[in-house]
Amino acid sequence: MDADDESSNPMIDEIYANGGSPEGVGGEKRSRRLIISGDQFDIEAYASLYSGRTKIARLLFIADHCGGDNSAMQLEALRMAFDEIKKGENTQLFREVVNKIGGRLGPDYTMDVAWCETVDRRAEQKKEKLDNELNAYRTNLIKESIRMGYNDFGDFYYAHGQLGEAFKSYVRTRDYCTTSKHIIHMCMSAILVSIEMGQFTHVASYVSKAEQTHEALDQITAAKLRCAAGLANLVSKKYKLAARKFLETAPELGSHYNEVIAPQDVATYGGLCALATFDRTELKAKVIDNINFRNFLELVPEVRELINDFYSSHYASCLEYLANLKANLLLDIHLHDHVETLYDQIRHKALIQYTLPFVSVDLQMMASAFKTTITGLEKELVALITDNQIQARVDSHNKILYARHADQRNATFQRVLETGRVFDRDVRSMLLRTNLIKYDYNARSLSRKL
Amino acid sequence: MDPMEALVAQIQGLSSTPGDIARLHIILKQADDSLRAESTRLSPVLGQLAPSEHSLGFLYVLDAFTSGQISKQQAETSVPIITGFINACNAEQIRLAPEKFVLVCKRLKDQVMMLEAPIRGVGPLLTAARKLQLSTEHLTPLHSDFLMLCVLAKCYKTGLSILEDDIFEVDQPRDLFLYCYYGGMICIGLKRFQKALDLLHNVVTAPMSTLNAIAVEAYKKYILVSLIHHGQWQLSTSLPKYASSVAQRSLKNFCQPYIELANSYGTEKIAELEAYVQTNTEKFENDNNLGLVKQVVLSMYKRNIQRLTQTYLTLSLQDIANTVQLNSPKEAEMHVLQMIQDGEIYATINQRDGMVRFLEDPEQYKTCEMIENIDSSIQRIMALSRKLSAMDEQISCDQLYLSKVGRERQRYDFDDFDVPTKFNI
Amino acid sequence: MDLSRVRELLESKSYDKVADICDNLMLQVASDGIAYHDDWPYSIHLLAHIYVHDINSARFLWKSIPSSVKESQPEVTAVWKIGQRLWLRDYAEVHEAIRGYEWSQDLQGLVAAFSELYTKKMFQLLLSAYSTISIQDTASFLGMNEDDATNYVLQHGWTVDPASQMFTVKKQPIVTEQKLDPSKLQRLTEYVFHLEH
Repeated sequence: MDADDESSNPMIDEIYANGGSPEGVGGEKRSRRLIISGDQFDIEAYASLYSGRTKIARLLFIADHCGGDNSAMQLEALRMAFDEIKKGENTQLFREVVNKIGGRLGPDYTMDVAWCETVDRRAEQKKEKLDNELNAYRTNLIKESIRMGYNDFGDFYYAHGQLGEAFKSYVRTRDYCTTSKHIIHMCMSAILVSIEMGQFTHVASYVSKAEQTHEALDQITAAKLRCAAGLANLVSKKYKLAARKFLETAPELGSHYNEVIAPQDVATYGGLCALATFDRTELKAKVIDNINFRNFLELVPEVRELINDFYSSHYASCLEYLANLKANLLLDIHLHDHVETLYDQIRHKALIQYTLPFVSVDLQMMASAFKTTITGLEKELVALITDNQIQARVDSHNKILYARHADQRNATFQRVLETGRVFDRDVRSMLLRTNLIKYDYNARSLSRKL
Repeated sequence: MDPMEALVAQIQGLSSTPGDIARLHIILKQADDSLRAESTRLSPVLGQLAPSEHSLGFLYVLDAFTSGQISKQQAETSVPIITGFINACNAEQIRLAPEKFVLVCKRLKDQVMMLEAPIRGVGPLLTAARKLQLSTEHLTPLHSDFLMLCVLAKCYKTGLSILEDDIFEVDQPRDLFLYCYYGGMICIGLKRFQKALDLLHNVVTAPMSTLNAIAVEAYKKYILVSLIHHGQWQLSTSLPKYASSVAQRSLKNFCQPYIELANSYGTEKIAELEAYVQTNTEKFENDNNLGLVKQVVLSMYKRNIQRLTQTYLTLSLQDIANTVQLNSPKEAEMHVLQMIQDGEIYATINQRDGMVRFLEDPEQYKTCEMIENIDSSIQRIMALSRKLSAMDEQISCDQLYLSKVGRERQRYDFDDFDVPTKFNI
Repeated sequence: MDLSRVRELLESKSYDKVADICDNLMLQVASDGIAYHDDWPYSIHLLAHIYVHDINSARFLWKSIPSSVKESQPEVTAVWKIGQRLWLRDYAEVHEAIRGYEWSQDLQGLVAAFSELYTKKMFQLLLSAYSTISIQDTASFLGMNEDDATNYVLQHGWTVDPASQMFTVKKQPIVTEQKLDPSKLQRLTEYVFHLEH
């Protein structure tokens, strides 16, 4: 049951029975495809999409946010985080995760003081060594070596969780970069660290720096930069720009950037942002007809389906997909804060788009199309009308929505008369004030000074 | 009495031609002090003079006569004399000594206030103001006194007649403040809120170097009337850039309760607004603004109903009552009926179904009256525009202005030979 | 105090002019210093304001009447009752206030004229504000009993539904003549001239 099956056009009320395909955890390759889905969240499969620090961060985020009653998932996440951290050299994170586990996972997953001390000692030694090397390079004034020295420092700090220092070190290589390749490398490192630190303004600036190099970027790097830019826009709530960036990502990205983002994420973030902010023409041109983006959407067929549903006005099914996905999307570290807003925007767009082609709409039918009650629907519509997003008025007696087109001629007359009156008043006041100033008056002589 | 008799003879003799009057004026100025010294013995002198022919002389004598402290009893005799004079005097003659005329009229005002019959001064002061004015665009110090008496005597309609004139020339800024303030009060009383706003706006934006109490009180009323008439008021947009800097900085500090009232109004929640008014009733009462504040609360119901017309075509009376927080559909029906009567809403009530149907403004802008209306507005604006250009030309030729500007002027380019670097007149 | 002009107007039934005349006369009399409060025809003055629907002026006049007069002249209080009902917009009560008092000779003509005028105004209001209205409400707004009210509105083209006790309102289309003036062309030329300069 391939998710590519789009043979029939479902009726408004039918639910498209996919997304929850019963494969579950079967074939590994298959289950990897359907990871962002309405299913119960599969942590292992999810975590396998990522590598490096982001994997740990995401696991910790899931542990924090998966809800009090889901302690199984929480413990699973923490366990995997623990394992991952132990492969690295970050003792700070280690201490954190041990605290969080609180001994619930048995004796294997408790504080390993010996390991911490070893790692810390190793770190000290390495730091000294790097320091000495760097000083040596500096006295020798060999640009390339100095650059590599700082780079190593950056890598070292990054591995040990000192992100601020890492960032500084990477940035310092800038003065010693000789080729565009060096600059790109520096930018990519800076971007990586900034994303981890959550400082997305830096991300944006380094992306533009990288894109301004003279040499043409290779496909993968370009795709990576697009993703980074998209992410920066998403976090700063510029959903439309984020959508555009994600949509421009080349499919060659694959899993090359999984220290930051997985291709499933590109599809999800891009799809949802586009749905929330694009108008119909843009949606069709840039998303549905976008061959490159199709490759991404393959990985998250539910998102693809809901976009198609929206475009073909099957709103009930679209909203149903969204509802199913919501729980899992809330566990995503970058999307978490934006899920509500995006969902609201998509819902509003659906309502507005539904009413657009009609002169009058029966609220009963509309309520069943959106699977909501008439009173609830009326409230939502009134809010949209007050916000000037729908030009219509509600006939509460007969429960019909009538489109309302302002009479331009009357409106113009009204504006003209009003302008005239305002001009009249303002000029008279002005002339009066001019006369007052002209005789150089001031109010000093008035009684009761305050 | 000899010098008095001589003076009387001179007044009687020199009051016919403008040349004579000019000479008489000089004589009178010189005799001013001696007149004041004899103030108690001047009533027979007044009897010998005719106010209509010997206006200038009469004025000087009258001024001296009324200059001392006057008791209530004396006021009884004094008021009719002044009133008679005002009604009979010759406008051109009294315009030669405007300060004295103003002084005399102000005393009239004080005396009628002392007698607790302000209405006695309304008629005379109106006549006096009209006689003193050089044109209907001229504001005299008497205007504000007249308006104050109107307010006290509750002759609001009479006061309105003088407010219909546009004022462009002012003798003293203090007059303007009081004129606009009392004028605003009269307009509020007659529910001419737009005009009240214009007048209060003038007070609040007038040039001033220090804050004065009138501006503060006017600002308070300005906020309240804005809420009633426009349904909104925001601190950030309330004072335009041309208002004096001291006003922009400090006015709001003295009007805190009103600003908070406006903020509460902006939340569109009746219950909050009413609660706020309840807790601050005393403050509003002390400022004599409680009645106006109550009108603000009432206006909120109206606004809420008006807002409904934007989103609904028909709505049940019950829903209206619920949304606007009225007690019953019947109450809602009465509110809507009143708004229809006042022309604030276009709707029809359907009692059988308990529904209200909102209609569009039936004005099609196609009638003759509308054309007349637009025409007269255009004429008015054209006249104003001409006035504006005339004033612009006048100022460009004004000495003071040129001397101030000329000093800072620089040569713009080499072709501009006509522009000297220094312009000293 | 010369009230002859007022009497003339009352006799010739030019009621709408009475208010202004009274106002001006009062100012004049006051400035002459005459003590007029006891002799002044306040009831006529008040009613004149109410007749032209200037409730604001009526209110201010009422406030300025000394309480001694209010107590000694019950007719003045009765007139104010009408004004008060109008101010509070108790539409039906106005009729009751009109009918609830024995008006003196001087006032009868004015009161009758006002009552007629008010009924007509209320009818206009109902015409513009309602599409259906109960017989009971119509009767109380118009100050008639239900049968009289029914006859009155049926004459004007309304229809009655006895089952639900409702009237259906018939709107009257207003036709105004539209005349065009040749002077308009002159004015348009002036505007264009002004805009060019």
